[in-house]
Amino acid sequence: MAELSTTRPGVTAVLGSAEACELVSALPGACPVSPVEVAIVGDASITALRQAVQRVDPDAVVRDVSDGWVLHTLRGPGAREAFARLSELELPASGSVQGAVARVGVRVLVEGDRVDLLVPSMLATHVLERIEDECRELLA
Amino acid sequence: MTRGTLRFEGRGIPVEDGDTVASALFRAGVRTFSRSLKSRRRRGLYCGTGECPNCTVTVDDLPGVRSCVTPAEAGMRVERGRGWPSAEHDLLHVTDLMHPLMPVGFYMKTFVRPRFAWPAAERLIRRATGSGRLPEGREPSRTIVRHAHVDALVVGAGAAGLSAALESARASERVLLCDAFPIGSQVAPGPALDALHAHEAEVRAEPAIEVLDGHAALGVYDGPTVAVASAGELVQVHPRRIVLATGATEMHEAFPGNDLPGVWLGRAASRMAARHGVSIGARLVVVASTDEGLEHLGTLVAAGANVTAAVVPAAFVDGVPPSAEAIVDGELVSARGPGRVRSVIVRERGQERRLPCDALVLSTGLAPRDELVRMAPGEPIELVGDAALAGDVPRVAGGYICLCEDVSAHDAEQAWAEGFRSAEILKRYTTATMGPCRGAMCGRALAAFAAARSDQTDRGAPGRTTARPPSRPVALETLAASVHEVIEKRTSLHETHLAAGAELGWSGGWKRPFAYGDPKDEYAAVRERAGLMDVGTLGTFLIAGRDAPALVDRVFPTRVADLAPGRSRYVLALDEAGYVADDGVLCAFGDGSYLLTSTTGGAERMDARLREWTHRLGLHVHLLDRTSELGAILVAGPRARDLLEPLSDDALGTDALPHAAHGEVTVAGIPCTAIRTGFVGELGFELHHPRSRGPELWSALMRSGEAFGVRAFGLDALELLRLEKGHLYVGQDTMPDDTPAKLGLDRAVDTSKEWFVGKAALERLAAIPLGRRLAGLTFESGPPDAAELRGTPVFAGGEIVGRVTSAATSPTLGRSIGLAWIRTAEGELPADGLRAGDALATVAPTPFYDPDGERLRG
Amino acid sequence: MTVRIPCPTCGERPHTEFTFGGQARPHAADDTEADFARVFLPDNDPGSARERWFHTMGCRTWFELTRDATTNRIG
Repeated sequence: MAELSTTRPGVTAVLGSAEACELVSALPGACPVSPVEVAIVGDASITALRQAVQRVDPDAVVRDVSDGWVLHTLRGPGAREAFARLSELELPASGSVQGAVARVGVRVLVEGDRVDLLVPSMLATHVLERIEDECRELLA
Repeated sequence: MTRGTLRFEGRGIPVEDGDTVASALFRAGVRTFSRSLKSRRRRGLYCGTGECPNCTVTVDDLPGVRSCVTPAEAGMRVERGRGWPSAEHDLLHVTDLMHPLMPVGFYMKTFVRPRFAWPAAERLIRRATGSGRLPEGREPSRTIVRHAHVDALVVGAGAAGLSAALESARASERVLLCDAFPIGSQVAPGPALDALHAHEAEVRAEPAIEVLDGHAALGVYDGPTVAVASAGELVQVHPRRIVLATGATEMHEAFPGNDLPGVWLGRAASRMAARHGVSIGARLVVVASTDEGLEHLGTLVAAGANVTAAVVPAAFVDGVPPSAEAIVDGELVSARGPGRVRSVIVRERGQERRLPCDALVLSTGLAPRDELVRMAPGEPIELVGDAALAGDVPRVAGGYICLCEDVSAHDAEQAWAEGFRSAEILKRYTTATMGPCRGAMCGRALAAFAAARSDQTDRGAPGRTTARPPSRPVALETLAASVHEVIEKRTSLHETHLAAGAELGWSGGWKRPFAYGDPKDEYAAVRERAGLMDVGTLGTFLIAGRDAPALVDRVFPTRVADLAPGRSRYVLALDEAGYVADDGVLCAFGDGSYLLTSTTGGAERMDARLREWTHRLGLHVHLLDRTSELGAILVAGPRARDLLEPLSDDALGTDALPHAAHGEVTVAGIPCTAIRTGFVGELGFELHHPRSRGPELWSALMRSGEAFGVRAFGLDALELLRLEKGHLYVGQDTMPDDTPAKLGLDRAVDTSKEWFVGKAALERLAAIPLGRRLAGLTFESGPPDAAELRGTPVFAGGEIVGRVTSAATSPTLGRSIGLAWIRTAEGELPADGLRAGDALATVAPTPFYDPDGERLRG
Repeated sequence: MTVRIPCPTCGERPHTEFTFGGQARPHAADDTEADFARVFLPDNDPGSARERWFHTMGCRTWFELTRDATTNRIG
């Protein structure tokens, strides 16, 4: 079984050089998007982060993009089983991966039996409905 | 032990423990299980493993059920398929006698004329050859779809499969083991089955092995990915390697009389006699050339069957029971009917003998079930057990090669004589191997037939025909599971629109309001007072970084180098062939960054385009797709400013925010980027705001405008509003090969730029006269609602010279207007004499409404 | 049936996560004939070709790879 919950966490986008991205990749909630982009899920002090990043890359962009994302979380022993009904992606034991989930691009953060799906806001309802439909036998 | 009854064509038939539908029916005296496709010959039980078509019946309204492998249950309703009036007494059996009039492929040469008769003929033929009716009004049942990532997939849970699975697990692999049937269900009770169950217990105790019995492997795809399905579940397995332990069927050979009821393959006969305790005949002749066949002979005798003769190779003589006559190294020539097996002709030492009997049991060879490996030759697949055998070569000496499609050896001979000389072409011409068994029974016989007749030079001719998924029958609802939902994008105002009674529809991948009530009222509100529209679906992009100005200069043909901070400009997006792919608005900021908006439908492609050129030109640019993050509300109409001013402390007047300017303003406490736009031809403010605050902003705007009758307006009203200004919709008014010149958008192209995407193509095209142009039209004497004219061809004289892409009747202008592409002669549009449908059309300059743009510059 | 495309950032993924960007041929800015051929006359030969791909549902980056269109073998 798994529990499903939906939240709107803080999300920060960091767009900068490979060096700048590496700097922030180690932060908690960091989700590497590409060699030049990292997303950080969770509350972050944008000003402090921007200062740190722009020291390494003055041209880098650090912005609060929280409104652009919704977090659907599956938690429990059935979380990974539920995920396997939504996506072909193979999940690591912990870390992040991005790819097709419920047929749209989603950023996934996973830790043990907790699977976080970071979904673009315009698709939040679509993904939620797919989870509720495909995984109905597994949801508490 | 009786376990109730099932209903069979109006009668009740007892069901005993362990019965299959076939064994219950057979015990009750049913001998004809189906009628063959073309000749309507009687067909009885044959393979016993669910592979040939003979035992196919309809169970509980579902056709296509193989009764020999379907457990019988009390209360089932069973019917046979073809046959008119019934399978037992089929009047259409007369077609068998007409065989000489229906040579192979006859239906490709007949049923052509008269053409008008085809629909009726098709219906008749379909009814005559159909094998059951699909139940109507049945809801598809729920199928769960999931993905499984494993190291090894083992297909087949017999002895070889169970061993392979255990070996894999002990080598620390994650294993998935599947079998189309419950484990052990195809094995007769006895020591072999006991050993299997012990093995099974070991397998089930292994945590690294997932067992999916009752799940058939349908096909192997690139990856490899294997589709494994049961009635309620479809598992897409992604293994690193595949082990096929699918075993082998007993070989099907073609000889005269081979399709008569009473001809059995060894497995089917021994199961019926031993497992179900039903005698298959009073006098049996057994032909056994394999070890398995010898076992079946023993089983039949032990079950009390009267085997009168056994045709065996010399090595097996000692295995023949004393009660039977051993015919050593004999050759089976034919089985004789009529209607069912009544005797068998055997050649012994050059002499033909007739053996009276009512059942012929054959175990003359093995055919490995290699379909899955043949359909995916490049994938890491290993065959084990009987599936790895080379297999025996079947004789084709007469009778029926393909039972499913009713193709006889004679048909194949005729086809060969007509020039169809390879297994692949014989398949297509005769339809052999194209039936429900997909060649499982007849594929080797067809290949053997072609091999025996082709010469050494044509090595491709005798090969096995291509194997394709599905390798087992599968319901369409299983394959369609989970892909029937469309992907719907929504703005944060979705619920607001629904609450306001909006009619939502699809547009560019989003659900958008088309109208809230009467679109004419909404239109009037925008022209006379003010209207609100949810434009949050527009693509919005941040373009930043030190090379941002270089990117926008090169990716758009429009002049943007002189775009000052605080100003916005309409831009086109071209592809490398110079064709217009999308349009949008570019806003410049003081820090060298830009905000770009694009059309709703073009947003994804615009993001890809910006990234593509950043990559190809090696530019240092930061791109952020803000489409989800930002909502947008358009406030448009002569009273738009009156509506906004009470909600904001910021200056919104013509000096502070003139037409085509943009600025950061706070409206109702919500921070917005306001862009002055003129798409609908009135004073307009496009308010881009954080998505989460959309409903709050919308309410505030509606309340503020209540006093003078603000209206929400949707896509229907927008269609007319923008058309009156002659504004085109990319995709509706444009064709895939429209250049800016063809659309009258030369002003959006700066040819003095050194380079932009599509420049070289435009230069080349400039040397050729324009073949067509998008033009404004006014209509007269047409339908009262000119929207009907959309899509109609434009005629000049009797010739089609164009097509109307948009049309509407304008209340403000009091006339019907539209846009159309029209062919040009030497670069010029036809002067007059144009018609569209019933209407007379005249080329007119655009904009139709407020041509000097005074209203939107307010 | 899916072809697996190796994204340099995300690893191998089914092709349904990507958008195909056409044949990758070197840009010939000063040679108009070559440029015309590049845009309007793709080679379309059977066998290996250099291609551009975009990881639509993942990192959204562009990259190039060599693919044999007759066998779908990549690299």
